[in-house]
Amino acid sequence: MASIARSLRPVALRLAQSSKARVAASSASPIAIRAFSVSSAVQVKKFTKDHEWIELSPDNKTGTIGISQYAAHALGDVVYVELPSTPLEVAKGDTIGAVESVKSASDINSPITCTITSVNELLEETPSAINKGPEDDGAGGGWIAKVEVGENGVKDLEELMDAAQYKAFTEEA
Amino acid sequence: MAPARRLNSLLKGRLCTNHSCIRRYSDFVRAATDSSNKSQIYISRSLDPYLNLSIEHYLLQKTPADSTVLFLYTNRPSIVIGRNQNPWLEVNLGLLRNDPLGVELVRRRSGGGTVFHDEGNVNYSVICPTLAFNRDKHAEMVVRALRGLGVDRALVNERHDIVLGNVPAPGDARPLKISGSAYKLTRLRSLHHGTCLLSSPNIRKIGAFLKSPAKPFIKARGVDSVSSPITNVNVPNTAFEQAVVSEFRDLYTGGELILVTEEAKDVPEIRKGFDELTSLDWIYSQTPQFTFSTHATEEDPRERPQLPGDLTDFQFRASFTVRNGSISKASFGFGGTSPVKDVDGVDGGLINKKLQEIESWRGVLSNLALPGMRSTLGSAGTFMDTLFGNGDRISTDVAKDFSRLERGAQSD
Repeated sequence: MASIARSLRPVALRLAQSSKARVAASSASPIAIRAFSVSSAVQVKKFTKDHEWIELSPDNKTGTIGISQYAAHALGDVVYVELPSTPLEVAKGDTIGAVESVKSASDINSPITCTITSVNELLEETPSAINKGPEDDGAGGGWIAKVEVGENGVKDLEELMDAAQYKAFTEEA
Repeated sequence: MAPARRLNSLLKGRLCTNHSCIRRYSDFVRAATDSSNKSQIYISRSLDPYLNLSIEHYLLQKTPADSTVLFLYTNRPSIVIGRNQNPWLEVNLGLLRNDPLGVELVRRRSGGGTVFHDEGNVNYSVICPTLAFNRDKHAEMVVRALRGLGVDRALVNERHDIVLGNVPAPGDARPLKISGSAYKLTRLRSLHHGTCLLSSPNIRKIGAFLKSPAKPFIKARGVDSVSSPITNVNVPNTAFEQAVVSEFRDLYTGGELILVTEEAKDVPEIRKGFDELTSLDWIYSQTPQFTFSTHATEEDPRERPQLPGDLTDFQFRASFTVRNGSISKASFGFGGTSPVKDVDGVDGGLINKKLQEIESWRGVLSNLALPGMRSTLGSAGTFMDTLFGNGDRISTDVAKDFSRLERGAQSD
């Protein structure tokens, strides 16, 4: 989801990079964190600088990917969503699909290393579901894909932003 | 194509004397990937639409993340559909395949609608960091170039197209369009490309190419074109190129002009992109799912045009769905005298067949074993061949009839 150019400013980018560094630093002792709150630390929805989100199940084995509310708004009316055929193994940052809006084809990239196991077929027929509920992972929601995650994928998660960091990232000028 | 050759040799003569002429592709690659090369300008001397789009895609992927790139190119006659469009819906394929111009069918990687290119149309393309992307910035740059050439009424409209303001087309309230834009946005780099109609000799034929006889029968997912009345601005290609280069240099301080030749195809990544763009799977099978039906359905209740004589008499009914380019379900029959026949994997060999691989619907329908309808099946096959652009000249003449009254129109 690279396309939110209009509102992405260099300062915001720098902020995101420094927050990324903080996240990495804070997870230096992952065992201690897990001892505190077994699942909530990993169930938190995480965001990329490219405006995708991913949320893992409590056991860290599966998850859901989508694009953020902020991105959906910035894109404008989505007229077509290209989804991958499944299953598909991808590395962090690989293109897993594309969204078309306002004559623009925008890539959707995978936030982490994972295997795409199914896609939201509703979007083929009703692309506007992305505009209505981009962070809704239920039936009728605008989520993009369900995934299976291995150790590398869970590790990739550490570099992503949580909701508060992402909000700051999109608001900072 | 004699006109193409003439133009090509003209370009060759002019550009090689005025600018640096890069002969070896390694020089082009070095310039494009040089991390200190922040402002890059290329003009392609190839008229091959697939190659030009592949060079453009290479520049999108390989130029330094913080650079801004201008790429200008002209294509031989071609119809270029948007990434998520349907060629059977957007294009009169029968007319296209039989026209002496030899028009190419191209699917680009960017979004948007269908446009026509020929030697009287120069395409501009600006690649910049996604952080700096803006839909109007470079359309405005081209408007400044056009105004500098005396096209004072050029302006960017709310669809980010360039139109001639203040003078409505005859019988049409809309200003005449001269340039349409589309975009491809990736993580770090974004591309804006647009056409500019300067002196297309085919301007009156464009509307007919962009009017598919199958359109009333197809319900498609994906992206529709928005048709607009168009006009030439009557500026020579070279003057336009020079003016755009000059405006680009004003915006981005400098930039050496490099000419790109057919040899760009030797760059492995460009070759790979070229092979993909020329593959039938990309051109046709990339089409979003659609359903064809000769009659109104719950899904697509539009009233249909009347079918030719005996097909109406015998209530010929055909419908099929195409997913990922292949026919996933189909049924054919005659309403009045025999039940509509569902076609399965064996019958007619139609299921899972790629639509573009059907050479003749006459042949397909004669395999369907619908009893007692031989001659009507023949007309049905001819009718379907006309809609999908197969078959011989006789059926494409019918296709021509469908659109002969259309006046020049271009979509984006």
